[in-house]
Amino acid sequence: MVGATEEARLNQLESQVDNGGGGAWEYLCLVRKLKARRSEKVLRHGIFILNSHIARSKLGGEEWTLYEQVAVAAMDCHRNDIANDCIEALSKKFPGSIRVGRLKGMLLEAKGAWPDAEKIYAQLLVDNPLDQIILKRKVAIAKAQGNLAAAVEYLNNYLETFMADHDAWRELAELYISIQMYKQAAFCYEELILSQPTVPLYHLAYADVLYTMGGLENLQAAKKYYASTINLTGGKNTRALYGICLSSVAINQLTKGRNKDEKDSADLQPLAAEALLKDYKERAPEKLPLVTAMLRNIKLVS
Amino acid sequence: MAEDLVLDTAIRDWVLVPLSVVMVLIGVLRYFVSKLLRSSQTPDAKVVREGQLILRARNLRAAGGFIPVKSFRARRFYYTNEENGLLHVPKGQAQNPQAQMFSDPNMAMDMMKKNLSMIIPQSLTFAWVNFFFSGFVAAKLPFPLTPRFRSMLQNGIDLSTVDVSYVSGRSWYFLNLFGLRGLFSLILGEENAMDDTQRMMQMGGGFGVDPTKNLGAEKDGIDIIQHEWTLPKMEQRAEMVLRKLVK
Amino acid sequence: MAVQDSTRSSSEGKSGDDGEDLSIFHAENLQNNMKSIYYSRTFLSIMGGVVAGIWGFTGLMGFVFYLLIMAIASLGLLAKAKFSVGNYFDSWNRIILDGFFGGLMSFVLFWTFAYDIVHIF
Repeated sequence: MVGATEEARLNQLESQVDNGGGGAWEYLCLVRKLKARRSEKVLRHGIFILNSHIARSKLGGEEWTLYEQVAVAAMDCHRNDIANDCIEALSKKFPGSIRVGRLKGMLLEAKGAWPDAEKIYAQLLVDNPLDQIILKRKVAIAKAQGNLAAAVEYLNNYLETFMADHDAWRELAELYISIQMYKQAAFCYEELILSQPTVPLYHLAYADVLYTMGGLENLQAAKKYYASTINLTGGKNTRALYGICLSSVAINQLTKGRNKDEKDSADLQPLAAEALLKDYKERAPEKLPLVTAMLRNIKLVS
Repeated sequence: MAEDLVLDTAIRDWVLVPLSVVMVLIGVLRYFVSKLLRSSQTPDAKVVREGQLILRARNLRAAGGFIPVKSFRARRFYYTNEENGLLHVPKGQAQNPQAQMFSDPNMAMDMMKKNLSMIIPQSLTFAWVNFFFSGFVAAKLPFPLTPRFRSMLQNGIDLSTVDVSYVSGRSWYFLNLFGLRGLFSLILGEENAMDDTQRMMQMGGGFGVDPTKNLGAEKDGIDIIQHEWTLPKMEQRAEMVLRKLVK
Repeated sequence: MAVQDSTRSSSEGKSGDDGEDLSIFHAENLQNNMKSIYYSRTFLSIMGGVVAGIWGFTGLMGFVFYLLIMAIASLGLLAKAKFSVGNYFDSWNRIILDGFFGGLMSFVLFWTFAYDIVHIF
């Protein structure tokens, strides 16, 4: 995840490089460090460096890192010819390297030759069965082919060993949501919340899943997690505000007869509605009537 | 008083400064050598899994309050139940780390390399210092000390009349050994902060760490903690946040 | 100059800002903060050692100087943390004591070194 200051720095460098102000290599380094996905820019500037002899020789050993970075960016932009050239150069320099083998597999993937790519990965896995990237590539292949069940299975196998890898948990959660296995997805989001309790996005996604599952208990929990998202974002998250409104309406519907609603959070929904209206008034006044009508419909605003 | 011991400037030029410079250089050199020797061993699946498991269990312990009670209980059961809990280690299976080390030559090799990169330069420097500089009064501490420190600071000088604040060459070496670690952590980065003395302690305290012990400790930790759901509190806080926002 | 450094290098990463009743800590950021404390303390103790040696402090004077430097460092860290320690660290001891004794060895070494070179020979 990219922090705000780092992103600002990245954007500043990018505009500087785009306008011919130099610093292309620093920009590429920063992109690599932050794992940002700006393949087009990386491809353009990277190729520029690789094509000029002087700039390339200045890099020394880092040249090969650049080749790898450009190869991946080229695949992302579907310039398989460039990627092929880069990989060729790399495999001439490092014959038999796993990293180059990985790139070859990725190139095959980019071309859509799934069985060939899988064959390459299987070979690489024989030598070191714990290569995280290759295991993840296998998941990606399954996902790219639309075989979500297989992707889930691979990912579960992966998590069996690397169970502290939260990015994998996130991917698994999204996969589960797309095949509508909400209970499992909820488990994944719980795992994510455990590993990074201060990231509001996980709270929000977990609340969404709970709300989708429905039922009084889940709805109440969903409302709580929407509340904690608001807490963590300082009330700036529109989706969480909507979530509060909708989940409290749903709870009211379910408990209408019994009237055993908790008293302590009764203020939350009108406040959320008010905050929503204020937000719209500031940022999208033309949509304000729509929102007001909608909130009036569900009887949150009189 | 032996206060006015005059030290020759040649001692500064040929003992004090060279000794310190050599110590610094050796420290830097050792850092790079150990970096070179560090083999990229392919880790064992079981070891990786245990490491990750401990991380995950630690997360549960730290942030357990953020998930609902039901989920927490399910996880606790998953980790600690007596039949097939992940953290539960059957009694007989806890193998002796020593035996484990000898069964895995790779691990022993790695340990050897690490120790060699530490011991060899250290003993070489010490021998060198001993050979060249053992009889010198190399430096004077700027503060007085009680005679108890004599054996520590005047290692290699057998004169009881010299003021204790004078330091012999060999002791200057020891002072450097302990004092330079701060400098190393500045110039070589944080990972060097784990210094020789700590490493020596570890070596004395048993070869390698027993992973099963870690698992057991983590299991006890999870068994003990009470689950306290923090989310209800969050609701009230969110209310406060919104109230501030709306105003 | 030394004080400036202590404030500059401390705490680039902000730790969890929810610190009032529920303590949520971002372990990585906390570690980062502690690292920068350690870094600035070490730097200060080396610098302080050299300065003390060159000025020719002897005896208790030098240790008082060290204490003074560490106190200034604590103040600097405190100012950098905007006087709300809870937001950046898990306890007060971190700011006041961390790296104190580790720095002492470095301080004594560099103090002796500089003192000997300037005053003894």
